Amino acid sequence: MTGLFDRILAKEWSALAAAIIAGTIGLALTSPAFLTEFNLYVMLRSFCVVLVVAFAQMLTLAVGQLNLSIGALGGLVAVLVGGMMEKLGLPIPVAILAGLLVGAAGGLANGLLTVRTGINGFIITLATASAFTGINLGITESVPFYDMPAAFVAFGSARFSAFPYLLIPPVIVALALGLFLARTIPGRQLLAVGGNPHAAELSGIPKDRIVVLAHTLSGLLSAVGAILAVAQLGSAQPTIGADWLLMSFAAPIIGGAALTGGHISVASTALAVVLIVLIQNGMVLTQVDPYWVQFVLGALILAAVALNRARALRAERG
Amino acid sequence: MTLSATSEDRRNPLAGLLAENSNLIGLAAIIILFWIGFTSYAPGFVSSFNLFALSRSLAIDIVVGFSTMVVLATGGMNLAIGSIGVCAVMFAGWLMQEVGIPLPIALVAGLALGALLGFLNGFAIVRSGVNAFIITLASASLFLGAMLILSKAVTFNTLPPEVAAFGRMKWGFVSPLMVIALAIGAAMVVLFRFTALGREILAAGANARAAELSGVPVGRAIIVAHMLSGLLAAAAGLMLLFRLGAAMPSIGQDWLLPSFLAPVLGGTLLSGGYVSVIGTILGALLVTTIRSGLLVMQIGNFWLQLFLGLILLLAVMLDRYRSVHAERRSLGKRA
Repeated sequence: MTGLFDRILAKEWSALAAAIIAGTIGLALTSPAFLTEFNLYVMLRSFCVVLVVAFAQMLTLAVGQLNLSIGALGGLVAVLVGGMMEKLGLPIPVAILAGLLVGAAGGLANGLLTVRTGINGFIITLATASAFTGINLGITESVPFYDMPAAFVAFGSARFSAFPYLLIPPVIVALALGLFLARTIPGRQLLAVGGNPHAAELSGIPKDRIVVLAHTLSGLLSAVGAILAVAQLGSAQPTIGADWLLMSFAAPIIGGAALTGGHISVASTALAVVLIVLIQNGMVLTQVDPYWVQFVLGALILAAVALNRARALRAERG
Repeated sequence: MTLSATSEDRRNPLAGLLAENSNLIGLAAIIILFWIGFTSYAPGFVSSFNLFALSRSLAIDIVVGFSTMVVLATGGMNLAIGSIGVCAVMFAGWLMQEVGIPLPIALVAGLALGALLGFLNGFAIVRSGVNAFIITLASASLFLGAMLILSKAVTFNTLPPEVAAFGRMKWGFVSPLMVIALAIGAAMVVLFRFTALGREILAAGANARAAELSGVPVGRAIIVAHMLSGLLAAAAGLMLLFRLGAAMPSIGQDWLLPSFLAPVLGGTLLSGGYVSVIGTILGALLVTTIRSGLLVMQIGNFWLQLFLGLILLLAVMLDRYRSVHAERRSLGKRA
């Protein structure tokens, strides 16, 4: 029973790719607006933030941790970057750099707290998420910063045909992340720690330092996502990140990441984000009630979990 | 590490009892300090109006905390509490307003829906063997989405007048909702202290494999815990329905943090096997006190989130250092 079909089925991305192809064909046939240049641009643009946010969660999943504070930290970075540009008049690169530093520092705090106290990362990041949101709301009192520099906003909406310039940073992040995980020593150590922390420690990998590294990178990426979101929206909203939680877990898990760590894929996660964006776009085009997005995302995660489970059982038996 | 702390407790029940009570005593002391502080800086804090408002939200916070506590007992968690709560509220609201079903039957139906959704969670977790975190994250989205699709996010606000009247009712300066919350608390104590079912849930959380080998139906215990969690989430939602006088689709969306705060501040272990009912009540009291105090002092909602986050961090770290310290001390004694 090891035909071609079974072999394709065994590949993690097969179901994803099939779903994406089927969805694309279906939408192209049913909705004439789907394949227009403008719609492709809209889709690619909404792809950017979700992709980076998914990578932020993927890195903590890689070491068997999780990060509930991605959205809260993203929201904080968004208003800080916006505030620095609007109220302090700092140049764009300085504000971006400061924002990235805050993101990395937030992630570092998560990592150090988790490792030093030995407390479950769930509860640590639940607490820091609340703290980050508190600082965000305390600073802004829920009022957004609207007055962003023209060049910054222009970058968020500029495009070459259907290709938004906003997509450049996420693509760089994806390539860098792929290289980091596949070719560098810390990247390999990261996966080793997630796969089997005990074995990794016995073979001399500084486990705690790697967990802190994963959290720091996760914070850094949530800052990247936040800055992209500000550029995309054209204003620094305190609510940025409030709806990232489900999305950040959905994409890596639909992409086949194991919650127990050690098993992640940059390409599969990216494909999962494509699928999510495709579904959202399809719902807008076919004028389905937007509440269905919530429902479908939940169902998709459960389906992915069930599929992974079935695949694992099959591999065991085979 | 927490596991070794529990086995320590078991070997030396007296030390375990003392450690447990020192946690509760410390928590009570912190609450008293906050009450003294708020009363002296903001006299409005102990006005009968504010105490009534405080008792109403405390009652709901306690039940929300219990809802998480029963699944923490199995070492699991339930992120779908808010979604289950709002589903129960909207279902009961729809039954009363659109179908014209009397209040008591609608309440029972809402509770039954909560238990059913909790059962689905537990069933999916046990059958798939997948982490409770991911199952309930997905089901939270699924339940909320289904509720929004069916209700079109419309509030039911022409409910029978008894609903709002009960919410406004005062016994002295406390709300009768508080009595309901304490009655549920008493039922929790009975469940975990005196029934085989409660013992099974705790055993499944303390060490699933050992429990299974000694004949405890672990899968059933986990499913029952999730059913109870769903039932309690529905109860908390319906209590909020009385307080608000309307069934709103936004109910429950801010329950995640408080649902963990109350049991974790109260000393319930995240790894399972140990719960503290009184601790959960005190934890909820601390959260409600701080929220109400900041409101009365007009610091408002904006900084509240930061305070709650820091308090949670502080509480878990203190707990951690205390258990490490206790372990060291007992090691020293043995040597």
